[in-house]
Amino acid sequence: MKSKVNQLTIIYILIAVFMAIVFYKLSIKYYYLTNYPFYNFSKDLVLVFLTAITFRYILSDNFNKNKIIFEHLKKTNKEIKESNDKYDIVAKATSDTIWDWKIQEDNLLWNKGIKTVFGYDQDQVGDSSKWWFENIHPEDSIKMSIKLYSFIEQKTDNWQDEYRFKCADNSYKYVLDRGFLLKDESGKAIRMIGAIQDVTKQKEEELRLKLLETVIIQTKDSIIIIEADSKSIGIPKIVYVNPAFSNMSGYHADDVIGKTPDIFIGPNSDKQEYEKLITALKNKEECIIETISYKKNQEEYWVRFSMIPIYNAENELSHWVSIQRDVTQDKKQEKEKEQLIRELTQNNKDLKQFSYITSHNLRAPLSNLTGLLNLIEDIPVSDPELEEILQGFNKSTQLLNDTINDLTKVMNIKDSPSIQKETVILKEVFENIFNQLSFQIKTAQPIIQLDFDNAQTLEINKSYIESILLNLLTNSIKYKSENKTLHISISTQEKENQTTITFKDNGIGIDLERNRDKVFGLYQRFHNYPDSKGLGLYLVKSQVEAMGGTIDIESEVNKGTTFTITFKN
Amino acid sequence: MLDLILCVDDDPITLMLCKKVISKTTFSNEIATAKNGEEALQYFESIKLNETGSNLKKQPQLIFLDLNMPVMGGWEFLDCFMSDDYSDFNTSTKVVILSSTIDPEDLEKAKNYPMVIDFLAKPITISMLDYLSNKEPQEKLLQQ
Repeated sequence: MKSKVNQLTIIYILIAVFMAIVFYKLSIKYYYLTNYPFYNFSKDLVLVFLTAITFRYILSDNFNKNKIIFEHLKKTNKEIKESNDKYDIVAKATSDTIWDWKIQEDNLLWNKGIKTVFGYDQDQVGDSSKWWFENIHPEDSIKMSIKLYSFIEQKTDNWQDEYRFKCADNSYKYVLDRGFLLKDESGKAIRMIGAIQDVTKQKEEELRLKLLETVIIQTKDSIIIIEADSKSIGIPKIVYVNPAFSNMSGYHADDVIGKTPDIFIGPNSDKQEYEKLITALKNKEECIIETISYKKNQEEYWVRFSMIPIYNAENELSHWVSIQRDVTQDKKQEKEKEQLIRELTQNNKDLKQFSYITSHNLRAPLSNLTGLLNLIEDIPVSDPELEEILQGFNKSTQLLNDTINDLTKVMNIKDSPSIQKETVILKEVFENIFNQLSFQIKTAQPIIQLDFDNAQTLEINKSYIESILLNLLTNSIKYKSENKTLHISISTQEKENQTTITFKDNGIGIDLERNRDKVFGLYQRFHNYPDSKGLGLYLVKSQVEAMGGTIDIESEVNKGTTFTITFKN
Repeated sequence: MLDLILCVDDDPITLMLCKKVISKTTFSNEIATAKNGEEALQYFESIKLNETGSNLKKQPQLIFLDLNMPVMGGWEFLDCFMSDDYSDFNTSTKVVILSSTIDPEDLEKAKNYPMVIDFLAKPITISMLDYLSNKEPQEKLLQQ
């Protein structure tokens, strides 16, 4: 470049020197006046060289200045190009949707994000801000436009906003929109460029977390989060407590965060339970303990306390979550219940003991009476009056003995929680009963119908079912109607895992309206018969229930009685 | 027919009944009585002493034992009688519990004592003695 300046200078000098020579020659030729031609020529030459130097200097200076400007322009150009390239690359690479709004013309351009993120085709996208605003969720649009216009009017320094933007499929996406303003010389906003980021996932996650947080904050159970620090020995530090914990323990969050949970231990805490907890902590295992804990004011309360280890993504123990519940009330009730059960058990035991002793004490002299009466039988009595007295004596003793034996039976039934069951063939049971009652049956001449086609056997205690049916049959014969033939029908039905025995007679019946609640009671008698003791039905019910069955009665005075016994198979 | 039986009961009427009923049969030649377990044990103690001197008291072949007695009841007696102190007697002398008890647990409990051969309800009767004398030879046969 410098050579160009030199070139120009040399050309100038050559032309000027040539001109000087030409003028010199001419002046010699035409002007004679010239006294000093050589002097004039020298002067011209000097002038030429002086002007050449000046000219060269100016030229060189200008050239340098131009060169700097050129360089600068070139650099700026390059920068612009680079910047444009970068913009293109970023606009292509970013998942954000970029918009460019010429505010005065209200012309809004979108990048391809409007298609990829929101699903709008080119022809669906409007080219004004109206289209943009229209697609903002109605609930967000007012708030958003207030903020945006206050930014454009430059009342606020920066602008970013979250709102819901409608997609082509009419669903809404949560977006984070950030923009900046371009201003003209007067400072007026002429253009705004923004980037919309799809934050639906984050927003949904945020809402989900908020919901989960609500659970922790609202729950009535206390929740403590404890930092797992494998280096520290013992129980690590509390990092979070929920409001329920503060309510329960009286400790404010600030009181306990950073402390170890052993501040809740007190003199009455269960040492064994805490040992259990510490072992679980060491082994990184879940555990549940129940112990007395202490409130801030040192008041005791029972707490059910669980510790659950929480592992992070790297599968390292990061935290412990402890859920606690005040079980003081439960514990109190439990204790009361235990106390009550203990008392009841003791009472029951005492009563049972009492009844055994009583009946023993009754039985001992009674057995003597029986034994002595047996001895008298062999001694002949001549006095008829004595004979009669002895007979009465004998009969009363017999009755007393029967009653005591019955009571013993009842007591033994009530006392046996599990009884032996076997497969019992009902027909055989009845054959046995008929043998035992052959005398009564012969006297009463009843018509007995047996129908065991539906269920011939029962899984049951044999001696109990015999006793039950014997009692019912004896009752039927004993309380038969005087003026009609006794009909007894006994049948079985089986349905839905149940076997039912129906025992029906046409005897004198029981007035159930008056006596329903007493029918199966102990020593309840409904007819003034000399040998009725009021024990039979009580015994029947006891035996049925001891085998897990139920018994029902239907009866009408002078029409008959039906017993329905149901056993679960 | 047995030679000697021992009736242990605190009730004098029961003892009287026992004597009377047994005397009516050929169940046993002699009947000894004791008012409770302790007296029964003393009876066996005196047999031990007799062995060195004169043979005044004989060993009973069978004991009718009541359960509910003052000082020492039937169960306590059986526990003592089972011990090595009475090893001379507790295999050869059998026990029949004769009680007015109704507790089914007692029946089960009685099975823990090998010398108890039966558990019968009071009062003692002639048919009961017949049953026992029929049973007794069988037991003996089984033991041999």
